[in-house]
Amino acid sequence: MRYLAVIIILLIGTSCEKVVNIKLDTADKKYVVEGVLTNQSGTCMVLLSQTQDFDASNAFTGVSGAAIQITEKDGATTQLTETSAGVYQAAGLTGTTGKTYTLSVTIKGQTFLAASTMPAPVNMDSIFITEDEAPGGKRNMANVQYNDPAGVANNYRFVQYVNGEKEQEIFVRNDELTNGNLTVTKLRYPKNDDDEKDNSIKTGDLVKIDMQCIDPVIYKYWYSLSRSATGGGGNAATPANPVTNMTGGALGYFSAHTLQTKTLTVR
Amino acid sequence: MLLMVAAVHAQSTYTISGTIKSQQTGETLIGASVKVLNKQTGTTSNEYGFYSLSLPAGTYRLEITAIGLQPKVQEVILDKNKVLNLALADADSKMDSVTVTATSRGRSISSSQMGIERLSTKEIRNIPVLFGERDVVKAIQLLPGIKSAGDGNAGFYVRGGAADQNLILLDEAPVYNASHLLGFFSTFNSDAIKDATVYKGGMPAQYGGRLSSVLDLKMNDGNNQNYSASGGIGLISTRLNVEGPIQKDKSSFLIAGRRTYADMFLKLSHNEDIKNSQLYFYDLNAKMNYALGDKDKLYLSGYFGRDKLGFGETFGMSWGNSTATLRWNHLFNSKLFSNTSLIFSNYDYKVSIRNGANNYNIFSQIRDYNVKQEFQWYANSNNTIRFGVNAIYHRIRPGEVTSPGNSAVNGQTLQERYSFENAAYATNSWKISNKWNVTYGIRLTAFSIMGKGDFYTLDNTGAVTDTLHYNSGDVVKTYLNPEPRLALSYTLTPSASIKGSYVRNVQNLHLISSSTTSRPTDKWVASTNNIKPEIADQVSLGYYKNLAGDKYEVTVETYYKTMQNQIDYRDGAEIFNNMDAIETQLLFGKGRAYGVEWLFKKKTGHFTGWVSYTLSKTERKIDGINNNEWYNARQDRTHDISLVGSYQLNKKWTLSANWVYYTGDAVTFPVGKYQVDDQQVFYYTKRNSYRMPAYHRLDLGATCTLKQTKRTLSELAFSLYNAYGRENAYTIEFRESESDPTKTEAVQTALFKFIPSISYNFKF
Repeated sequence: MRYLAVIIILLIGTSCEKVVNIKLDTADKKYVVEGVLTNQSGTCMVLLSQTQDFDASNAFTGVSGAAIQITEKDGATTQLTETSAGVYQAAGLTGTTGKTYTLSVTIKGQTFLAASTMPAPVNMDSIFITEDEAPGGKRNMANVQYNDPAGVANNYRFVQYVNGEKEQEIFVRNDELTNGNLTVTKLRYPKNDDDEKDNSIKTGDLVKIDMQCIDPVIYKYWYSLSRSATGGGGNAATPANPVTNMTGGALGYFSAHTLQTKTLTVR
Repeated sequence: MLLMVAAVHAQSTYTISGTIKSQQTGETLIGASVKVLNKQTGTTSNEYGFYSLSLPAGTYRLEITAIGLQPKVQEVILDKNKVLNLALADADSKMDSVTVTATSRGRSISSSQMGIERLSTKEIRNIPVLFGERDVVKAIQLLPGIKSAGDGNAGFYVRGGAADQNLILLDEAPVYNASHLLGFFSTFNSDAIKDATVYKGGMPAQYGGRLSSVLDLKMNDGNNQNYSASGGIGLISTRLNVEGPIQKDKSSFLIAGRRTYADMFLKLSHNEDIKNSQLYFYDLNAKMNYALGDKDKLYLSGYFGRDKLGFGETFGMSWGNSTATLRWNHLFNSKLFSNTSLIFSNYDYKVSIRNGANNYNIFSQIRDYNVKQEFQWYANSNNTIRFGVNAIYHRIRPGEVTSPGNSAVNGQTLQERYSFENAAYATNSWKISNKWNVTYGIRLTAFSIMGKGDFYTLDNTGAVTDTLHYNSGDVVKTYLNPEPRLALSYTLTPSASIKGSYVRNVQNLHLISSSTTSRPTDKWVASTNNIKPEIADQVSLGYYKNLAGDKYEVTVETYYKTMQNQIDYRDGAEIFNNMDAIETQLLFGKGRAYGVEWLFKKKTGHFTGWVSYTLSKTERKIDGINNNEWYNARQDRTHDISLVGSYQLNKKWTLSANWVYYTGDAVTFPVGKYQVDDQQVFYYTKRNSYRMPAYHRLDLGATCTLKQTKRTLSELAFSLYNAYGRENAYTIEFRESESDPTKTEAVQTALFKFIPSISYNFKF
């Protein structure tokens, strides 16, 4: 349905766009936690930052000095160490499918907790490129093929890199309409669809796809984030902060997910 | 003293009744006024042109007036019950200059009815419009208290209510989606519409089912005097309307059709996909009536419309309404009028998605079968009583997914939902004295949710804790709601009055919208054990004054409305998907709205028009949104101004203009930002605490009459929409700055600059 707005504007063909000045309020700073634990070694990482005023720079500014740990349910607790400002890691910690993990972040007397369960992995069979119609003209798109297991609800997130550069689009899928089927997911990105040249995949490009099997609460996080990503005062859904599994008043998320990667060179 | 009373009683009372029509076309006139000269009494014709007036025996002079027609004075010697059918001649065909364009209809000074706005298609013919498509729904948005939902959105908001809280009736059939082309046009072809009445408050008891307003549209009956055809050719559409008698003076038919061809322009595009895109609509109105003797009349009317939108081969969508109404008017005697209606109404949409291996179609539908029986009893000269019953069977198919052959998508059908909406009502308009009029009544609504299906018990987080299964024919729950209606007027002078009203409305069908604009795919959902009926209570007070011998009219109305069981989505709600228990995605709360509306209208002369100004507030308080505090509803607009004018330069040219201004919608903007996954993410605190920029727009129009005789007409209509090219914000979005990626910027998109158009209209 996101296409609808794009199509209306394209078909009317008279829309005009301009940058406007809007005076926005400022708010008290909030902590932002981005915690990831996967089934691959060396990927456990927690980023800690704060919200910034709208006019501030977009650069990431980490918050140092937090006590961060991840506890496996009925299992061990691992402390993360700060490797650079706001970046906390535990290189040796890998997650196990079916286990629930709790992230605890303590900073300046505040503690934020979040729990996430790592789902069973679903194998990514292949990736391939097809040429498809898009409102901005025909373009190449990446496709991921996998066999969705029947009987269980599965949630997926894909991350696409072209020549090492990450596509700024949130690709999340679930199997509500495709449960138990051989599934091909097309990584469309409506966000840049009206942009004919940029972001299209060309011959010779190196395409890398990460496939994550994610917890349903994390699906909810990414889905709700994608719906208010442009901060629209427009005609999309009313923007709101994404639905998070963090408790204690922090923004962000903690996701325990499986990770699988495939690459191909476009011919 | 005793003798005098006896004398009054001895004098017999007789009834004069009949039908009021247009002389030229035989169309019955709605709301035509019958005034007894030199006596402060009178009546107005009902929706079928019928009137009935009881008076003591004597000789009277009746003055009959209706909008756009020449008034007529008729002498009557009342010595027995009489039938007097009246016909009024057209005003504009003979006179050198147009002097009569309007009499106040519906909103008479003395009647207790308030909160009403009425437009005939004659009145809107000069209002300049987008692409030259005359549109009665767009025209009513220029009246006080009725707000446009904005460019590209056919919805409208009445007194702070949401777009789904308007009951839109076409010949009594509910129309569930009144927009074409995603809102640029309404579903109503002005050629086929006789009359549009909007009730913003003080709804009479015969109407019910929505909180905010009733928009009651009546189709033309068709000319029963002569065959005639009219139509128009415009930049984006062609219209044709054919009507004529089946039996002269007695019965007639009408067929009106329209087709847009905006997609022709798409063929000019260089882009292959846009070339292969579809974007058009068509609609068809048909009506016939047949007189079975003097006491019975049958009407059959129908509407069918469809929109198609497609993008290349990847995305296709079509949606539309169809309605059918069969009515039988029966006159038991000169005082008792009966109407029986059988009504069908349907709205559905289909979406097809071709996305590689994941091809699928979605289908959704709401369908009503509806029976109404109403009596209008003109009991005596001081009391008119209306009573009736209404039963509607709703069947909602929320969503059916089908997939062609080798698609990876599984077919899936969401549970169908069934309900009975039954109502009984009675209301009396009582003329207490020469100064006081009161209308009091009650509507009793019983909404029964029927099986079969699963119904759910939820906990306070919205999760399902228990599922109850009901079989076909089981009553899951019945919501019984009395809706009192009261309206009172006090005539200060023959040209001024004050009125007050209280009304309760109940709504059991709710439109759940995934976004802030109306989309064809928005879901109609019936009340369930969890979704309670929406209830609104409204009090209003008004002052009405005619100036300079009815040349000018001034109206001030104020209202306060409270709303219960208002609905919004939870944050991050998913709209489609496995959503049998849609309640799990919803939050409930309350609303309040208040405001003042001014209208100043010049009704006669070469120059006619109006100024309307609304000052208002509308808020919601929903548990789970905005920290459970009151927040502005999106359609909360502090100021809303419309200026509408038309000037008859000479017999050939009529010039017109309208200007609108309103406070920007209440929207949610970020108060900060942060990084997640190497991307900018925005941080929000308060719901709808910001404003879009103010909206304003000037439209100009000119109509050139090429040739006009008594029965034929040809004219050219020019219009310039958004004459000074104001870029009104359609959306404001925030993104990484293109010039400096370390910064964030706000980008405004506007849909239109100026849009000129020309159309040719004819009648013969």
